[in-house]
Amino acid sequence: MKKLLQPFAVVSKQTFIIMVLFQVVLALVLWHTTSNGLMPQPGKVAAALIQLSTTKLLIDNVLVSLTLTLKAMLYAIIITLCFAYLSVLPFFRSIAEFIVKCRYLTLAGLIFVFTLLTQNGSALKLWLLIFGIVPFFVTSFLSVIVNIHQQEYDLCKTLGYSKWRTLYEVIIVGKADKVLEILQQNFAIAWLMITMVEGLSMSEGGIGALLIKYNKYNDLTNVLALQLVIFFLGLFFDFLLATMRRWLFPYTTLATK
Amino acid sequence: MTAYTKQDVLLQATDVCLSYDGTPILHDINFSIRNIVRPGVSQGQVISLLGRSGVGKTQLFRLMAGLQKPTSGSITINGNKQVEAGDMGVVFQHYYLFEWKTIYQSLRMATSQNPLLKGNEKEAIEKWAATFDITACLHKYPQQLSGGQRQRASIMQQLLKGSKFLLFDEPFSGLDVCVLDKVVDMLLQVSMADELNTLIIVSHDIETSVAISDTVYILGKEEGGSTIKKEIDLVERDLAWHKDVRRNKAFADTLDEIKASL
Repeated sequence: MKKLLQPFAVVSKQTFIIMVLFQVVLALVLWHTTSNGLMPQPGKVAAALIQLSTTKLLIDNVLVSLTLTLKAMLYAIIITLCFAYLSVLPFFRSIAEFIVKCRYLTLAGLIFVFTLLTQNGSALKLWLLIFGIVPFFVTSFLSVIVNIHQQEYDLCKTLGYSKWRTLYEVIIVGKADKVLEILQQNFAIAWLMITMVEGLSMSEGGIGALLIKYNKYNDLTNVLALQLVIFFLGLFFDFLLATMRRWLFPYTTLATK
Repeated sequence: MTAYTKQDVLLQATDVCLSYDGTPILHDINFSIRNIVRPGVSQGQVISLLGRSGVGKTQLFRLMAGLQKPTSGSITINGNKQVEAGDMGVVFQHYYLFEWKTIYQSLRMATSQNPLLKGNEKEAIEKWAATFDITACLHKYPQQLSGGQRQRASIMQQLLKGSKFLLFDEPFSGLDVCVLDKVVDMLLQVSMADELNTLIIVSHDIETSVAISDTVYILGKEEGGSTIKKEIDLVERDLAWHKDVRRNKAFADTLDEIKASL
């Protein structure tokens, strides 16, 4: 028990699970006891979640959001990889650096520009999402490239590899596992943005549009139930990507003997 | 004394200088490595480059490996060929291997660069793996190997590449006594593999390096940067190629001489 509050203390897996369960129960009790008339109690949110999950409305909207997110993630990772791999060429380095700085731009100010550039609401949402995600992906991947140890390049050189072959072996093949890691880390950002971009073109629905609708009518119980859906879906994809990474790149989880 | 002759120049460093932003690191490095031939014995050369920490050994190592160009001067091999990255086999400190490749895949990377092994890559890997006792590790990742297995795989990778020159950066660093003996045996095994194999050991472990070398170069600091301060021909002193050389008084005297020169 004492260990739980000691810096750098190591606790067993069983202790950790018990501790987490206790924290969850404590949080629920606190939530339950402090909820007033406006704030729905956890029981009501859970009931709303069960009710929502049996409706076609939720499944349809989740599917719309997931399709959009996955599509945007796919395009974003392709764009990211192109610029990140090319960033080792001085000509593209500055472009990649500029994309990194684009993290400071807000999507809200660019909606009109994107409206002019895209054909319809669906394309607008997709490209806004891509534009929102890419700078974060590029930032993560460039940091992977920058932190590659000199010995990795040197080993290729000592084997007599050309610069292009070195790029292929060290960055493209050698850091392939990092692509999934970056996807895993940045999925949350994409998931965060989806609710925002879906609010721009609500006709196609989506979990963001649904959230905005419930919010508009101050239906806090359903808003929180929907937040739980978003949260659990996020956790599921986090788990899925981590599992895929372990399966595709087994060396990432090997312990040093 | 063992009969020997020094024949062709295998490596020649001429007036090598290196500086960073105007600060001289190395200056006027001149030395040559010759093929030492002994009747009835097929053994390559073992050269040690000794110096204190921070004297510029790693810089000279990188220049010899062709990983870096000297500010002036040249390092040539096999007659008059300017050394380039890929000409030398390079075994880095801590025996670096690609973590995302199995040992077999790493070795295939090396064999694919060796035209002499074309068509026989698999057989060559199997042969050397048996010699180096790492057959059971071929399909494992480097993280799954012990330090010794990793080291053997790393040396094997550079041998399979086909280079006669092998550069070792601090191969004895951080090893315990038992492992140290194994590393020494391994280096001797590599030198015995071919008459023209030339091992260049960059180290600050004087005793171990001298015990297995035939020539020692001492790198020391001077005002205009570090340079080769002394060359010790261990063959001339009858201190080379003897297994029990450490028991020899002349060996102890040589160590004292080297320490005094550092």
